[in-house]
Amino acid sequence: MIAVELRKLVLSRRTWVTILLIDALPTLVGILLAVTDIGPRPGTGPAFLSAVLTDGTLFPLAALGIVLPLFLPIAVAVTAGEAIAGEAQQGTLRYLLVRPVGRTRLLVAKLVSVMVFVVLTVLVVAATAYVLGALLLGSESVSTGATSVSGTGLSTQEMVLRTLLALAYAMLCMLGVAAIALFLSTVVRAPLSAALGTMGVLVASTLLLTLDAAHVLQPYLPTRYWLAFVDLFRDPILWRDVERGVLLQAAYVVVFLGAAWANFMTKDVTD
Amino acid sequence: MTSFNRWCVAALLTLLVIAVPAALHALPARDSDIGASDLLERVRTAEDHPWSGYVQTQGALALPVAEDFADVGALFSDDLRMRAWWRGSDDWRVDRLLVSGETDLVHQHGVTIEWSYERDRATISRDPDIRLPRAADVVPPVLTERLLRDVSSDDVRRIPARRVAGISAPGLRVEPSAPQSSIDHVDLWADPGSGVPLRVDVYAEDADSPSFVTELRDFSASRPAPSTTTFDGADGIDVEHDDVLDIADAANQYAPLRPPSTVGGLDMSSASDGAVGVYGVGITQLIAIPLRGREARPLREQLRQTPDVATSADDTLVTAGPVGVLLTGAADDGGWLITGTVTAETLRQAAIDLARGTTYVGEVG
Repeated sequence: MIAVELRKLVLSRRTWVTILLIDALPTLVGILLAVTDIGPRPGTGPAFLSAVLTDGTLFPLAALGIVLPLFLPIAVAVTAGEAIAGEAQQGTLRYLLVRPVGRTRLLVAKLVSVMVFVVLTVLVVAATAYVLGALLLGSESVSTGATSVSGTGLSTQEMVLRTLLALAYAMLCMLGVAAIALFLSTVVRAPLSAALGTMGVLVASTLLLTLDAAHVLQPYLPTRYWLAFVDLFRDPILWRDVERGVLLQAAYVVVFLGAAWANFMTKDVTD
Repeated sequence: MTSFNRWCVAALLTLLVIAVPAALHALPARDSDIGASDLLERVRTAEDHPWSGYVQTQGALALPVAEDFADVGALFSDDLRMRAWWRGSDDWRVDRLLVSGETDLVHQHGVTIEWSYERDRATISRDPDIRLPRAADVVPPVLTERLLRDVSSDDVRRIPARRVAGISAPGLRVEPSAPQSSIDHVDLWADPGSGVPLRVDVYAEDADSPSFVTELRDFSASRPAPSTTTFDGADGIDVEHDDVLDIADAANQYAPLRPPSTVGGLDMSSASDGAVGVYGVGITQLIAIPLRGREARPLREQLRQTPDVATSADDTLVTAGPVGVLLTGAADDGGWLITGTVTAETLRQAAIDLARGTTYVGEVG
């Protein structure tokens, strides 16, 4: 079942068009920075973008900071929202369930497929940004090594390890989004409704994070720890928010995947 | 499994996910039978005890943010995240964490290195006796050390313990006896083992909620490793030496003035050795900084835009919680910036005393 879903994902033209569209923004930003040589002031703009003019190897992280707040969650919400509701809208869900596979397995296969989409997207964005950074942007780290947020030096090995951790963390954050969208996909008939519902949750979360009156709610909001991957580049690494981010995303996955399972297993499928 | 049972499983999972952290958070604190004076003594003896941890502050003071004082305003107006390693009063590091950057203070042997990711620069400076407050001054142990300087056992009483950083910390209320103080009381909670203060709440007169809170959310009483308080800058970063730390240090070194020995009924602190006067001690303290016209003008404009500003021909006064800010003079004049945790009457009296008692010692530097 998982193999079928993955084949469908990889062979779908829409998958690659979406990934290319997501990849286009950081690519454009990289080219603009290289051509104009004007970067944001350190500490402003997306994380690490200020540093890429001197150290192009940081551009994969900057690219992650660009796509993580908006582009990637939209793509995940649309893809995961499509999972069940899309099949229902096309009238294929009935036929899918005629096959000798359980609904739980179908749900898991859909989630795995969405996560593979996230992994593909993050890897394509990171690889493109790495090539772009190495070819067009600064090469200071080649001679002096990368600088951590705390001003200390990081070896290439440390930098690679921390970058991989940051990419894994970003993927985990998207797993929480996928779980919410998958649940909504089992509730509504139109995939667009599931995607918009998920985006509504994320926009509300982002808004509440800026509101002092919502202080009590903030540790539980899904987007609260998304940017904690920056803490992986402090020296020593600040694990506090990363750990909380991992636990929070795990909680969202458990709750919404549980609700999706409970709803989908008993849902009358007529489409 | 029936539909009902499936939803029960889903509901149970949700309940577990919500209830476990909520229950851990709501665990009651175990109080101890330590007396107020004993706790005060224990906190005092822990002043140079090593510690490390993650600090969060909540500032509710709407202080003006004129350029020369922007960092001070943010210190008491914003919510700050910090992490600190404290091996001793002359060997420490405090990082102020930002979403995509940080500003670190690393202090060893009387020299402070400030690394600013935002400015991409490390600045080395000596530590002057007179300077503006900085992030390292508001971590609970350092703030407590300052607040308790003139406190006697008659000024303190026990309050219930509370859980801070997962520790049941016995509480102490400090009520200032000086009539000039604008602080109603300070509540603090300390680690029962080491005596290191873990949380400080500062209340203004007639306030139901604290004007300023600083709390260690993660805490260790172990001595941090020497490497944690050493700044090992990456190759290629800009390093500068700064002879003048801030506007208070500059005024203290170069303004040709000597303020009087007493203002507003408060005696000058022994730290005062130049043009800037520090008066009072502990909870009841004010600082008087002489400003030139070009420094006073933007601050005056900023103060006038602050809610509840009181303006007269002679001065501009703003009160934000327990902190009062008074700038003497008008229009483009220079003047004395007088600020501290004292009443408005004390600030005005201090302005009168400064006008009468200041002596001039030479030409403007």
